[in-house]
Amino acid sequence: MTILWFLFKEGFKGLLRSKYSGAFSIIIIAISIIMIGFGYIIARDTLFMVENIRSQFDVDIFILSTAGSDEIIAFDKKLRQMNEIERVIYISPETAAKKFKQEFGEDILDILDYNPLPPSFTISLKPIYRNLMSVEAIANILQRDSVVDEVKYRKNFLIILEKYQRIILACVLIVFAVLTLISIILTSNSIKMTIFARRDIISTMKLIGATNRFVKTPFVIEGTLEGGLGALLASLIIYGIIYVQNTYLQSFFDYTLNVSYQYYIALLLLGSFLGWVGSRQAIRRFL
Amino acid sequence: MISFINATCSFRKNAGVKNLNFSIDDGEFVFLTGPSGAGKSTLLRLIYMDLFPEKGKVLIRDYDSAKIKDRQIPFLRRKVGMIFQDFQLLKDRNVYQNVAISLYASHYKTREIKSRVYDILNQVGLGHRVHHKPLELSGGEQQRVAIARALVKEPIVLLADEPTGNLDPRVSIELINLLYKINKKGTAVIVATHNYSLIKRVPGARLIQMNDGEIASIT
Repeated sequence: MTILWFLFKEGFKGLLRSKYSGAFSIIIIAISIIMIGFGYIIARDTLFMVENIRSQFDVDIFILSTAGSDEIIAFDKKLRQMNEIERVIYISPETAAKKFKQEFGEDILDILDYNPLPPSFTISLKPIYRNLMSVEAIANILQRDSVVDEVKYRKNFLIILEKYQRIILACVLIVFAVLTLISIILTSNSIKMTIFARRDIISTMKLIGATNRFVKTPFVIEGTLEGGLGALLASLIIYGIIYVQNTYLQSFFDYTLNVSYQYYIALLLLGSFLGWVGSRQAIRRFL
Repeated sequence: MISFINATCSFRKNAGVKNLNFSIDDGEFVFLTGPSGAGKSTLLRLIYMDLFPEKGKVLIRDYDSAKIKDRQIPFLRRKVGMIFQDFQLLKDRNVYQNVAISLYASHYKTREIKSRVYDILNQVGLGHRVHHKPLELSGGEQQRVAIARALVKEPIVLLADEPTGNLDPRVSIELINLLYKINKKGTAVIVATHNYSLIKRVPGARLIQMNDGEIASIT
């Protein structure tokens, strides 16, 4: 217990002793966390936007005009029982004619003297099935039904959306990996400076019979604390920027930034983690 | 207690020791003398295993330089006290903390650390300076803090590398008298020094004269 208490105390005192180099490390970690924090918000909102577009994706199923009402009811029931489908809307020929009038401004009965529009269904798939492979498979199954005339969906829309989503995801992953790596290197280097300034302590400790763990632990505690403080500083800055954006700039950018308290907790944990990894890396070369 | 067996170590060009063969017993007082570059510091570094011989070996009680593992070295150093010309004190800590750290590193309990530190500081005459930082002390006092730090863990041997190099003659004599007192209590002391005038102040001390990495004479 004595030794643990001593090492923790040393870690805290080390933070106070390091002054300028410690403050520099905290600022570097704060900058890293701000980059990662905003990187996350941008990535999250971009992917949310893509998902939002994807949620508007529908499949139209046109029914043969020869199909009887019993067959249509049975088909409606079949659709509603399908696990992949989230929502089913039946559009009767009359409803289709009304929609035609709404969209084109003319009554189709006045033009053709009869309603050529077939009954149809518009279905929305559950989010996990809103991809090209699933949609194609579901469309093929539906197409084989005897009452179905044609299944239509925007295939190109899905192809383009998936292509861009893949690109965005890859970019997000690369940017995150690079930012994290840069953060670890920056953090490690700034902590290395802190340790370098106190390398005499390390050599003295080793001469008096301290084990590597005894020498290392206070520096790792100090680094973890610096990481936590850096993340706290970053969280305050991010909170301030979000507040300014949502309070004063929203009318200019029409964009609301929303983050939960879990986001700030994650930043604090990330900062402490960066400090922990950075200090472990940094102390290694002095032992 | 300490044996050099055909030990040769040349860690850099023109510095090192060649084919050393000698032993030091428990409770001995030994002076190492010789010109700069004669190998005195190398010999001391071989004892606390900061350096290792390329040929031969060094034995310190059960520790064998040829077999020791890295993780065992801290445990050897807890049995070997060291003091240096530049004192190597932690400038941002007070006298008490400089001495106590040695015991914390050896995992002593707080209560024991307190009593041992105050006891040893009184023994070296620094009982009234516990809360001072090293830079607030004279050179002689700083060296006594270093001695207290080395002695507080009750080592089997105390190594001193030019301990009077930064001290004036009067303080140097005081320091040697202190080391002699420590030796009389049973701790072996090995002092590397240029200062021949100090040698005659320790009756019965062995003298190992070194030259060019070799032992020129042992008396």
